[in-house]
Amino acid sequence: MIEHLSAEQISQWVIGERTAQLEEHVEECAACRGELAQIESTISQFRTAMRDPANLAPAPEWRIPAPFASWFTWPRVVLTATALAALLAMPISWRVRTHEQALREQAVRAAQADAQLLESVDSEISQAVPETMQPLVTLATWNSSSAKQHQKAQ
Amino acid sequence: MAPAVERSRELDDFESVVRLYWPKVFRFALASLRDRHAAESLAQDCFWRAYRSRDSFRGEASVATWLMQIAVNLVRDRARDRRWQFWKRARQTAVDATSAAAWIRDRGASPEDSALIRERVEAVWKATSNLSERQRTVFLLRFVEDMDLLEIAAATGLKEGTVKIHLFRAVQAIRERMAK
Repeated sequence: MIEHLSAEQISQWVIGERTAQLEEHVEECAACRGELAQIESTISQFRTAMRDPANLAPAPEWRIPAPFASWFTWPRVVLTATALAALLAMPISWRVRTHEQALREQAVRAAQADAQLLESVDSEISQAVPETMQPLVTLATWNSSSAKQHQKAQ
Repeated sequence: MAPAVERSRELDDFESVVRLYWPKVFRFALASLRDRHAAESLAQDCFWRAYRSRDSFRGEASVATWLMQIAVNLVRDRARDRRWQFWKRARQTAVDATSAAAWIRDRGASPEDSALIRERVEAVWKATSNLSERQRTVFLLRFVEDMDLLEIAAATGLKEGTVKIHLFRAVQAIRERMAK
C-alpha cells in the first residue's frame, strides 16, 4: 500500500499511464485526488484558453489556384500571340538585315574597284606618250639636253 | 468507401479543409512560436504546402494528423532558423504581450477564482516556453489538440514510447513550475 503518489506517479497518471495500484490509491486518498484534480483542471483551463475562438486569427480566404483552362482569357491570349509573333519575326529581320549588309559591302567593294580602275586609266591618259614608247621620249629628252649643253660649250 | 479513400476525398474541397483545420494549425503555431504574425504566416505556409502535395496524401492518417505533421516540421525548421532565434531572444527581453493567461474569460467566476486561474494558466504558458521543442510539441498536441499517442507519433515522426517519455517529462516540468 502506497502512502501518497510521488511526483513521477502523478505525472504518469496525468499522461494516462494508470496502473490498478494507482487507481486503487487515488480512489482511497482524498489528498492525492485533490492534487490530481488541481493539475488536471489547470491543464484543462490552459486548453480552454488556447481554444477560445476569440484568440484565433480568422482563417484566410483560400483562393484555389485556377485550373489551366481558365488561363485562356482574351488579354492573355492577345499578349501571348504578340510575344510569339515578335519572337518569330526576330530571325527574319536578322536575315534581312544580314542580306542588306552583304549588299552594302558588295557595293562598297565595287566602288573601290571602280575607283582604282579610273585612277589607273587617269594616270595612263595623263601620260603624253604611250608606255611602250616611253624609252624614246627619254632618249629624245636626253639628246636635246646634251645638244643644248654642246651649244653652250661652243 | 474505404477510410483512406474517404480521407483523400476530403482534400477535394480544399477551401473547407482550410476552414475546418485552420484553428488547429494556427493554435499550435501560436503556442509554439508565441508570435501571432509568425503563427499566421506559418499556418498559411502549412496549408499552401498541403495543397501542393495533396496528390501524395494516401489517407493512411487523418487529414488533421497530416496537416499537423506539416505544421510540426515547419515549427521545427523555424526553431532552427538562426534569424528566428535572434528575434525570439530579443523579444524575450521585452514585455511578453502574448500570454494564454490574458485569454481567460471570467465566465461568472469570482475575482479571486479568476485571478487564481489566470495565475495557473500563466504558469503553464511560461513552463511550456521553457520546454524543449519536442516536449512542447508533444504536450500541445496531447493536451490542447486532444491527439492520442499514436496520432502524435505519426505527426512528429517519433516512436510511441518516445512520445510518452517526452510527454512525461513535459508534465513533470510543468508541475515543478506550478509548485514554485
